[in-house]
Amino acid sequence: MQFRLNGGDRKCKVSPRTLLVDVLRDECGTTSVHIGCDEGICGACTIFLDGESVKSCLVLAVQAEGKDVETLEGTGSGKELDVVQQAFGEEFALQCGFCTPGMVVSARALLKNNPNPTDQEIRAAMVGNLCRCTGYQNILKAVKKSAEKLQSG
Amino acid sequence: MADQEEQPSPKSPWVGRSISRREDERLLRGAGRFAADENVPGQLHAAILHSPHAHARIVSIDTTAAEAMPGVEVVITGQSSLDLWQPLPPSVDLVDMRLPESYALATEIVHYAGEPVAAVAASDPYLAQDAVNAISVSYEILEPILDRRKAIEPGSPLVYPDWPDNRQCLWEFSFGSVDEAFEKAEHVVSRDVAAHRYSAVPMEMRALVSRFDPVREELTVRVSTQIPHQARTILSWIFGLSENNIHILAEDVGGGFGNKLQLDVEPIPILLSIMSGKAVKWVERRDEWLTSAPASRDFEHRIEGAFSSDGALLAVRDHLIGDVGCDGAVRAGGAGALLVAGTYGPGPYKVQRYSTKVEIVVTNKAPYGAYRGFGKDVANLAMEFLMDEGAKSVGLDPLEIRRRNLVDNYPYEMATGPLIESGSFLSCLAKVEKAMDLPALKARQKAGLVDGKYFGYSVISVLEPSAATIPNSLFTGYESATVRLSPSGDVTVLTGMMHIGQGIETAAAQVTADLLGVIPESVRIVSGNTDSVPYGLGSFSSRGATYGLSAIHDAALVVRKKLLKAAANLLETDVTAVEIADGFATVIGAPEKTLSIPEIAKAVYFFPGPYIVLPDEKEPTLEAQAVWTNPQVSWTPDVHGRIRMYPAHASGAQGATVTVDPETGQVVVEDLWIAHDSGKMIHPKIVEGQIIGGTIQGFGGVMMEQLAYDQDGNMLSQTLADYQLPNFLSAPPVHVLHGEVNSPVTPLGTKGVGEAGAIGTPTVLMMAVENALTPLGVSVASSPLTPERVLKMIDGEKV
Repeated sequence: MQFRLNGGDRKCKVSPRTLLVDVLRDECGTTSVHIGCDEGICGACTIFLDGESVKSCLVLAVQAEGKDVETLEGTGSGKELDVVQQAFGEEFALQCGFCTPGMVVSARALLKNNPNPTDQEIRAAMVGNLCRCTGYQNILKAVKKSAEKLQSG
Repeated sequence: MADQEEQPSPKSPWVGRSISRREDERLLRGAGRFAADENVPGQLHAAILHSPHAHARIVSIDTTAAEAMPGVEVVITGQSSLDLWQPLPPSVDLVDMRLPESYALATEIVHYAGEPVAAVAASDPYLAQDAVNAISVSYEILEPILDRRKAIEPGSPLVYPDWPDNRQCLWEFSFGSVDEAFEKAEHVVSRDVAAHRYSAVPMEMRALVSRFDPVREELTVRVSTQIPHQARTILSWIFGLSENNIHILAEDVGGGFGNKLQLDVEPIPILLSIMSGKAVKWVERRDEWLTSAPASRDFEHRIEGAFSSDGALLAVRDHLIGDVGCDGAVRAGGAGALLVAGTYGPGPYKVQRYSTKVEIVVTNKAPYGAYRGFGKDVANLAMEFLMDEGAKSVGLDPLEIRRRNLVDNYPYEMATGPLIESGSFLSCLAKVEKAMDLPALKARQKAGLVDGKYFGYSVISVLEPSAATIPNSLFTGYESATVRLSPSGDVTVLTGMMHIGQGIETAAAQVTADLLGVIPESVRIVSGNTDSVPYGLGSFSSRGATYGLSAIHDAALVVRKKLLKAAANLLETDVTAVEIADGFATVIGAPEKTLSIPEIAKAVYFFPGPYIVLPDEKEPTLEAQAVWTNPQVSWTPDVHGRIRMYPAHASGAQGATVTVDPETGQVVVEDLWIAHDSGKMIHPKIVEGQIIGGTIQGFGGVMMEQLAYDQDGNMLSQTLADYQLPNFLSAPPVHVLHGEVNSPVTPLGTKGVGEAGAIGTPTVLMMAVENALTPLGVSVASSPLTPERVLKMIDGEKV
C-alpha cells in the first residue's frame, strides 16, 4: 500500500487485517501514536486521516491507501513546539505523557474546526481522549490557552 | 493546643518554583521512550493464552496445531516450562501470610479467569495471536469461590487445597483498654461500610522487549515498571541468572499508580526470549490488563466507636475483611494495603484505645495489588463514617466533632505505633470549610429540592501516610542517588526513582541546581538503568519527595562542599567567603573574583588537577553517592508489638457537593475541595497536579469504575467502555488549597503527596450522597455510586 505520512510518501506491505496504528508504529516508526486500549475508547492513537481526526486503532491500514496521514509530528516546524504543544507544557497538562500525543492531535482538530470553543465545547470535543494522570483540568486550560494564542495570531 | 505554624523557607533559586517540567519536551513531541516503542531487528512477538475459567484443573493442553503454524518459533505451557524457571517470589511476607506457590504459567490448577496457561513466540504479533487461538486446552471445571464472606465460612471449598481455610492472613491488634471504654461510654455507635473492586488502570499497559545472549548468559529487558532494581533481582531469582548479567532498562512509564510493582506475567515473554535466544516483544492488550492486572479495594468494614457526652472519641473497634482475589502477596503485594488499613485505622484522631481484626481472604479472582491509597483510603472510609455517626449520636456538628478529636500536638504517637511528625489537620479543615462556604450550602439544602433533585455535601479529614518501609518485602525503604559534576561542568543525577508521570526529574533537577549553583536545564537525570544507577527501590508509596529527593540532596551536598572548597582554593580565599549561584562561584562582596562552575570542574579533574585544587580531599572527584534512610522508621517492636513503617504523614481535609436525582439515581458531583499540607513543596504545580489527578481517580473509582465479575467468576469489564474511566465530561472541578508546614524529619522539609486525593475522595463522595438522601433515610453502605445502585439504595434494597 501507499500513503502519505506527515508529507512524505510511504510504501509498505501489509496484510488486509493489519490495523493502521500497527503500521504507523511498527513499520513507520511513528511511536508517538500510542495504544491504550485497541478498542477506540482511549484516543491515545488519534491521528489525522485526510484532515479528519480518527482513532488509528479503528482503521485498517488498507483504508489509508492513497490518503494523507498526519500524526503529532506532522504540525510545526520540527524544531519549535507548536502552539498547542507549548500550551500543554505551560499549563502542566501532562504527567506521564502517554495520552499526550493523542490529546494534542484532538486539540488541533478541535481548534481547526472551532477556533474559539467554549469550555463545554472543548470537553465535548475531547471526550474521546482519556487521561489517567491529570484529571483533565489543566488540559482544558491548555486548549483554551492554545485557542487564545492562535486567535491573537 | 493548635496546629503548627508555617515557617518561611530559606530563599532558594529553584526549589519552590513551578518551573517547566524537564520531562515535557520529549513527551510533547511524542518522543518518549515507552517500553513498547522499542523494536529489535529480528525480534519475535509473544502472545499469551489465558484461562477462560475462574477455577479449573488443566486436564491437557494440545499445542501441536500452534507449533505447526508458519512463523511460530516457541510454544510453552505451565508443564513444559516447569524446569526452566522458579515459582514467582513473594513481594511481601508479613504476619504469617500464606504464600501460594505460583509459576507465571499455571501448572495444574487455574485460580482466576484470565490466568496465563500457555504462550507463543512468533515472527509477527498477529501470527502469535493466531497460534494462541489454535491451542486447545481441556479443563475440569471446579467450583469457583467468589464471595469473601462465604469463603471464610467453615466448610467452604478452598482456593488452595493445602491451606486450612481461605485466609491469606489474619491480623489482630489491640491497644489500650478498649472493652472497658465501650462499657462505660455514653455513646456507642457502629457503622458498616464497603468498597467494590477497581484499580488504577494506567493508560499504558504492561509491555517489554527482552533480549537474551546465550553465549554471555546476558539478559536485557526494556520494561514498563516502577521498580527496575527489584525487577532485576526478581528475574535473577526466577531464571537462576547472575544478577550482574541482567540489565533492566525502563525509561518513560505511562502511568503506574502502584499497578506496576510486580512481575507476574512478564516472566513469560522473557522465558520465550531465553528459550529462543532471540529478542521477544510483548505488549499487553487492554482486555488482558483488565482481566489479569492487579485489582484493588474490594473490602468491608464494621467499625464501632465509643464517644463521651462531649464528643471525645474514647475507643474504636474495627473489623475489616478484604478480598485479595487469588493472591495479595506473591503475584502482587496488595494484601499489605489491608494491614496498612488496620494500622492507620485511628486516622488523624486522638484515640488511644483501638483494636482491629483484619481478615485477608482469597477467592477465584485476579491478583490484588497496590493502588494509590494503599489502605490509607480503606482506613479513611471507616473512620470518617464513624465520626459522622458519633456526631449524630452526641448531637454535634460533624465538623465540630472532628475539631474536638483531631491531633493537634506533635509529634503524636498513634495507638498503633506510627509517629505523626508534624501537621495541620485543623487548619486544613478550616480551609475547606471556608472555601465551600458551608452556611450557603446548608441554606441551599434547607431550601429543598430543585428540579426534583436532592442536594448534599460533606466534609472530612484526611491523614496521608507516605514512604512505606515494609520489612520482609521488596519495599523495605531506602533510596540511593549519585550526583556527578563532570570535568566539563555538567551535572548528572542517577536516581533509583522512576519517571511515572510525577515529575521526579524536574524536582530532582531543582534540588540539585540549588545545591550546585547551576540551572535545572543543565542537570541530566538518569533513572531506570540498573547498570548505571545505584541500587534503589523505585517509585511507590509517594516516596519521591522524601526518599528520592533526600538521597539526591545528601549526595549533592557532598559535591557542593567539595566544589566550594575547590573554588575557595582557586580564588585564594576562605571556603566560607564563597557563594555559588547561576553557574558561578564568587567571593562574597567581591563580584570580580569569580569562576564558572565548568572552570572549577576542569581545574579539579585536569588542569591543574586534584593535588593542587583539592589537596586535602581523600576523594577529590566531584561525585558522591548517598543512601537515605528515614530516622523515624523503627522495625524493632516496642513492648506493645508496634513498629513504625511509615515515616511521613501529610495532613488534609476534603469537601464535596452533589445532587442526586431520586427518579434516576443519577449523582452529579458539582465540586470537590481538597486542602493538603505535605510539607515543603518543591514544585507547587506538580503537587497540585498530583492532588487533582488522585482526586479524579478517587472520583472515578467510587462513582463509575468497576472490575465486575459474573456469578461464574468471569470478568465483565473487559474493555474501557465497560470499565468506565472518568473523561472530559464526567470529571468534576477540583479546588486545591495548599498548606506548607515543613517536615522536621527530611532535609528539605518534604512529605509525600502522591496519594492525597485518592485517599479521601471515595469517602467524601459516599458521605455527600448519604447527606443528600438524608430526607429519604438512605444509608450509603457501599460503592460504586452508579445510578442503578443508588436507585436500589433509595428503594431500601440491600446493595
